[in-house]
Amino acid sequence: MERIDPEHHDGTSDATPGGEPDKRRPGEMVFAAVMVLASAYLVWNAWGIENPFGPNGLSSPRSIPLATTSVMVISALLVLVNTARLPLDQTETILRDILPVTVMLFAAFLVLYGVLLKPLGFLPTSALFLVIAIKLLARRGWVWTLSVSLFSLLLIWLIFRIVFTVLMPSGIVPEAEVIQFFRGLMSGGAS
Amino acid sequence: MTALMDFLTVFTQPQLLLLVGLGTLAGVYVGAIPGLSVTMAVSILISFTFSWDVYPAIALMIGIYMGGVYGGSRTAILLNIPGAPSAIATALDGYPMAKRGEAGTAIGVTTVMSFIGGFIGIGVLALAAPLVSDFALRFQPRDYMLLAILGILLVGSLSQGSLLKGIFAGALGIAIGAVGRDPLTFAERFTFDFQLLEGGISFIAVMIGMFGVSEALLQLHHVDKDAVRQKIKRIVPSLATVKKHLPLSLQTSSIGVVIGALPGTGGDIAALMAYDHAKRVTKNPEREFGDGAMEGLVAPETANNSAVGGAFIPMMTLGIPGDAVTAIMIGALFIHGLNPGPMLMIDQPDMFWFIVGCLVMANFFMLFFGLTGIRLFTKIVEMPRSVLIPLIMLLSIVGAYAVNNSITDVYWMLGFGIFGYFMRHYGYPLGPVILGVILSRLLDDNWRRAIITEREDLGRFFESIVTSPLSLILFLGVILIFVSQTPLWTWAKARVFGRKENAK
Amino acid sequence: MKRMLISAVGALALSATMAVAEYPEKEIQGIIQWGAGGSTDTVMRSVTPHAEKALGGTVVMQNMTGAVGAIALNHVAGSAADGYTLLMGAENPMLYKVMGLGDKDYNEFIPINILARGTPMLVANNDAPFNTYGEMIAHIKANPGTVRFGSTGPGGLPSVVNAMIGAVEGELDVISVPYDGDGPALTGLQGGAIDVMPAVLGAAIEGIRAGNMKALTVFDTAENKHLPGIEAVTAANAGYNTYLPWGPFFGVFTPKGTPDDVVAKLGAAYAEGAKNQEFIDLMEGRGFTLMGISGDEASAFLSKWQQGTAWLLHDAGLSKASPADFGIARPGE
Repeated sequence: MERIDPEHHDGTSDATPGGEPDKRRPGEMVFAAVMVLASAYLVWNAWGIENPFGPNGLSSPRSIPLATTSVMVISALLVLVNTARLPLDQTETILRDILPVTVMLFAAFLVLYGVLLKPLGFLPTSALFLVIAIKLLARRGWVWTLSVSLFSLLLIWLIFRIVFTVLMPSGIVPEAEVIQFFRGLMSGGAS
Repeated sequence: MTALMDFLTVFTQPQLLLLVGLGTLAGVYVGAIPGLSVTMAVSILISFTFSWDVYPAIALMIGIYMGGVYGGSRTAILLNIPGAPSAIATALDGYPMAKRGEAGTAIGVTTVMSFIGGFIGIGVLALAAPLVSDFALRFQPRDYMLLAILGILLVGSLSQGSLLKGIFAGALGIAIGAVGRDPLTFAERFTFDFQLLEGGISFIAVMIGMFGVSEALLQLHHVDKDAVRQKIKRIVPSLATVKKHLPLSLQTSSIGVVIGALPGTGGDIAALMAYDHAKRVTKNPEREFGDGAMEGLVAPETANNSAVGGAFIPMMTLGIPGDAVTAIMIGALFIHGLNPGPMLMIDQPDMFWFIVGCLVMANFFMLFFGLTGIRLFTKIVEMPRSVLIPLIMLLSIVGAYAVNNSITDVYWMLGFGIFGYFMRHYGYPLGPVILGVILSRLLDDNWRRAIITEREDLGRFFESIVTSPLSLILFLGVILIFVSQTPLWTWAKARVFGRKENAK
Repeated sequence: MKRMLISAVGALALSATMAVAEYPEKEIQGIIQWGAGGSTDTVMRSVTPHAEKALGGTVVMQNMTGAVGAIALNHVAGSAADGYTLLMGAENPMLYKVMGLGDKDYNEFIPINILARGTPMLVANNDAPFNTYGEMIAHIKANPGTVRFGSTGPGGLPSVVNAMIGAVEGELDVISVPYDGDGPALTGLQGGAIDVMPAVLGAAIEGIRAGNMKALTVFDTAENKHLPGIEAVTAANAGYNTYLPWGPFFGVFTPKGTPDDVVAKLGAAYAEGAKNQEFIDLMEGRGFTLMGISGDEASAFLSKWQQGTAWLLHDAGLSKASPADFGIARPGE
């Protein structure tokens, strides 16, 4: 059998999901099984929701979570059974089609970003992320990489921080002081 | 006569005209960037326009609102990342078109249809506001609950792959929506004793993660492939195209106005319901839904823009916000010394007609900016992916943070991004998850309100549904749609209509 | 290259800190406990620009919602006590402890200014078969378990008002339908989903003026000038004098440990802002009673408010923990 066109199930559109209707992709069984276990845990957790101010009747905070997690367990189980019945797609491997090294690397970057965001602050963390990511993906010179990433970071920062006054964690950069400094300059110049 | 003069205020004062235009232009971009929301922009404008007169302040806000609702479709079509929740359905058929290089056509149709939808919404606001608000007030908790169930049944049309996986995704969404302290009793739900979770999970964070980050991760598979060259010759759709979709757009706009006018539901639900409606009534689409059907663009875009006019209806007639943005506008009116409420239309009818005028103007500006700025936007898609992917990721992070200024939301966004990546690979649709999160509170709160009102008596609960005409219609709708999605329907249809078709 | 960048940023920071030394040397974050468009949000966004002028600095206001405001409260309590992070909140935190919502309240904060207090009242659906407070009580007693009261969750204004009614009139058999705010509840009231709603006067006044709902009584010791002819609840039953006046309030707070001169500066700025005529007109138009208290006076007000309300709720069986567990004394003890 021929290699399936990757474009067919690359999952880039939600409307044409990446799954294959008549084959099991590598890792799909594991995912389905994890979903069953997670749903079962959630049902158990939902059962533990107590109404602090009354009986746990139909109107208690427990009712809808319990109903919806039960639906999750049932549907996840049926999905698991259906998945198990399908033949494994022999043309695909986890490392090539599901989790290539780049994807794993970027997932790790994102997690790392989350960890560093608070202590280091938004600007240094983002600069680090953009420079490394763009350098890695584009494989171009340092000057190009630095100018593209720092310019776009500046743009994003200006839009969010100055225009929309979203206060991202400032970390080690004394952002507020810098802004006040410029504000002082501006008002000094204006008056 | 004075009404006409008030209506024309905005057209005769260049300053106001300029502000509406500026607002609309800014709105298109605010709407297009996931994480920058109209709600945010308008609440910042309150402080910004604090010392202004009320007219210019409102003019600017309305511009942003109209432009923003429309702008969400841009990134949905070009990047498969809806800029706002109301553009989720737009991505389903818009992105496949962009993948074929037809982004120009898609944006053109979207713009013209948003314009038509916007006008229908404004028209209803201007001509029938009191009628519609009377109707909207009649919705009881049980009706909202039925409406939520009706919404949940959309899972069927949002999951092209496996229905089972769609149901799982929808239920997951409802569960995600329940995380945190229950707003009615303060019971902790799915918090696992983490204080971080008490505030719940922002659904914008879920949306940005699932659509933004997971899309970016998937695109990593094709970093080296060149972006699709976009043909942008024919942007303005032909008159024939518009005419062909006019009946559908009238229907979906009506859905938009009503859902927009109901307090507690807004453009996001309206767009999804309209998409579902289009799928039902369109017999022979030129292309299949989910593969770039024009109808799949027309429906959500007319609905979410007509919901704008709809949202103003309860605000202007009763002082009750139709959605989050009108809630903030009520605050703005209040700060500017007006008394937003049912007396506003009687005490200050000029305000009503001024707002209608601004909306009309903003709608025209939206058409103009929508059809002119396309080249710049398509350039974004043609950017090398090696730059685009990291930027999408960074924007997703900032956007998730901006919603509620919370790092927790960033963690959730990243988590759902990676989870969504696997869901896509294994054929779980993502739309139902977001649908579930959006509808979770509507369903949960109103179910509980309804059953509390009937003293936890299911018999009385059903009796109240059957005896109220509105509830009964909604209930029958739920049953009809439910049956039509299950195998039972195909079986029954085969029994009843089967012979006729054979006879032909 | 990177090292250069870091040192450049460092140098800039250094010169910036040296250039300005007096508070406020950078913008101040104002964390609003409730969502955009709510009454706390509106009050804060309308007073702060006036205070900014007096302060000579910028206050960037952000909404941080979730867990009835506890998320915002914990965030500000956990930030540095330098006057650069302010909490803009309402009365709820004083009940967090007894409602089991958290272990912090305004006792962790210094009140900068308690701006205003609202007046609770009872409004009813136009079709309700009673027009005054007395008729309502009589109707409920004659038809137990049929009248639907709106509420906004335990600890909210309606639950406190209900606890007061229970304490004065004895337990009433009504259906309590929970909403997530007085806005949605008043919408439900007009649509007939509930019959009676205890709400703050400012939220209901426009609906009453338009005739979309009717006022039953004002929960105060005297008639309100915005509602002439509507009797105060103390006129119907003198028992309420024990608990009234009572009302939700709005205030600006800074964490304990903030330097005195900073607190003084902020206090002066907000006191000045609250004197602005536009702000006063706005608040009075919505039926709020201006307070503008700070310092010890505000602290005394807060602890009195907390004692009265916490014990009222506890006695009505609506609390999760006894106020005594947190050292909240019973009023009068």
